[in-house]
Amino acid sequence: MSSREPATDAGGLGRRRFLKTATAASLSLALAPLRSAYGQAAAGGGDTINVALVGIGAQGRVLMDAMLKIPGVRFVAVCDIWPYARTYGQRYLKKNGFEVRAYESHREMLDSEKDLQAVIVACPDFWHAPITNDCLRSGHHVYCEKMMSNTIEGARSMVRTMRETGKLLQIGHQRRSNPRYLVARNRLLGEAHLLGRITAANGQWNRAVSADLGWPNHTAMTSEQLAKYGYADMHQFRNWRWFKKYGGGPLSDLGAHQIDIFNWFFDTSPSTVIGSGGRDYYTGHEWLDNAMVIYEFKLADGMARAFYQVQTTTSAGGGYFEQFMGTEGTLRMSENPKYTQIYREAAAPSWDAWISRHLIAAQKAPPKSDDDTAADDKVDARETAELAAYYLPVILSKAIHQPHLENFFNAVRGKGTLNCPADEAFKSEMSVFKAIEAVETRSLVTCQPSDFIA
Amino acid sequence: MSDSQNNTSDCGSMLALLLLRVWLGVRAVLTGIEKFADSRVLQVPLLDAQGKPDSSGAMVEVTQKFYSLHSYHAIPDSMKERFSQEPLLPVFLTTPYYAVLGWALIALGIAVLLGLWTRASLFLMGLLYVSLTVGLILIKQDGGISWLAIHVALIAIALSLTKHNRFALTRT
Repeated sequence: MSSREPATDAGGLGRRRFLKTATAASLSLALAPLRSAYGQAAAGGGDTINVALVGIGAQGRVLMDAMLKIPGVRFVAVCDIWPYARTYGQRYLKKNGFEVRAYESHREMLDSEKDLQAVIVACPDFWHAPITNDCLRSGHHVYCEKMMSNTIEGARSMVRTMRETGKLLQIGHQRRSNPRYLVARNRLLGEAHLLGRITAANGQWNRAVSADLGWPNHTAMTSEQLAKYGYADMHQFRNWRWFKKYGGGPLSDLGAHQIDIFNWFFDTSPSTVIGSGGRDYYTGHEWLDNAMVIYEFKLADGMARAFYQVQTTTSAGGGYFEQFMGTEGTLRMSENPKYTQIYREAAAPSWDAWISRHLIAAQKAPPKSDDDTAADDKVDARETAELAAYYLPVILSKAIHQPHLENFFNAVRGKGTLNCPADEAFKSEMSVFKAIEAVETRSLVTCQPSDFIA
Repeated sequence: MSDSQNNTSDCGSMLALLLLRVWLGVRAVLTGIEKFADSRVLQVPLLDAQGKPDSSGAMVEVTQKFYSLHSYHAIPDSMKERFSQEPLLPVFLTTPYYAVLGWALIALGIAVLLGLWTRASLFLMGLLYVSLTVGLILIKQDGGISWLAIHVALIAIALSLTKHNRFALTRT
């Protein structure tokens, strides 16, 4: 990782590569209005794809495990500035049948690896844009973890580089390839209009207090090594998510996935956001440790408001989910099926047709209580009748990231389009940046449609 | 009472017994068959409105009921567990009882339906329900006891009408 800023010219490229890049850029600019232009590679590539993984931290390892289950993915290189993680990745892949070369710098890797086709970027957020842009400019397709960047400028540069190079850039909002989410969005909301008019949404990711990450003493990097890659010290390197220089804090780390679902399911971007939050518990961190924000979405049939909260000091409140509430029903989605539920309002039309088509399934009735009065547990006459509960029978029998990676590799093979290309992801990233701004300024932030176009 | 009145009364009694035989027979046969029932969860492709696999490739879990000899279970496991803790229900009695319960219900149900030794079949069916009642009394399942009492009462009525038995394979 040698460059901190996105490259802005072709000075470092060979003549052949420059011509190739320029041609691709011209072609991609001509197709600029078409989203699908960035979603599919040219057909004709072989089924085996040579892949490098940049960043072998917690998220990189999750992606590595998911990729090991995908046929046709051949690991050829790993890259991480931390020798401890680098060696782990190299040995882990060797155990799984891949002899890979290990690099400290992504630039060195790109210069050395001639048969590379795709790069998976899972390093800390502030490195996403420089590395992704370098990889795209080197002619590789990229799968980059969210957030795209810790800055709007960084995220925007990634979209622009994707357009210039014509290469694929998938952002790791993995819910967009999860069949459970696809069916919920396209079939339950789109085809069946199961919820009626959606007037509100809420989402959350609450988790308990956790200690900062440490490291084995003998594995610590020197100050010079850390400074070379922009880190103040080993503690900040290991706990980069909590520091503003490197990441976006909990609203970005946890909230980005779910705020993306608001945008995706509503099929639009928010018009305003207001919020509150703060660093009230963890004294050694820079980023807020709790936040509550409210978005306004102008939908075709009226306004919908979406509340989102992230708490890092309590796991209360039912885990992590995104919930959409309509006049006829409510859909609570989560990557964890145990948090997923669908509720039908008493006055809603029958859902039997959707049950018979297996879009939803009736919840098994809980055992009846011996106490007859338990069935009528309203304490106030104004209460609405208890909603009938249903569940989503769609299953995902793979690791949650695997379908999104498969979608990326299929697009690289020319067999499909990306489910979350960078220009689409940028809209959600901007929604997160707006929420952070609202929390930090304690004000109502207004969003313009142009804000969401990179 | 005139002959025509007697004939009408006999016809009504004959129909009453026939109705009871059908009800008790169907009840016993299906209850016995259900003891061979189980369910399995299948994963099948979710279909779109045109009947083609959904574009997401989604698979759905569908619960399917099936019957097999291998699935035989005389009573629910939870109830079996409770019976096993009863001193008056020793294993050497309950084990053979569980083994024949389902088959006995089916056999007696068919016999009552077809009118095969109707009187004896009804009586044995009544004894079977009494035996079930014993277990429920011990575990204090008053609701179940009441249900079984209704069955036994219906059998008793049927037995009192056996002289009007018709549409039967055997006379008694």
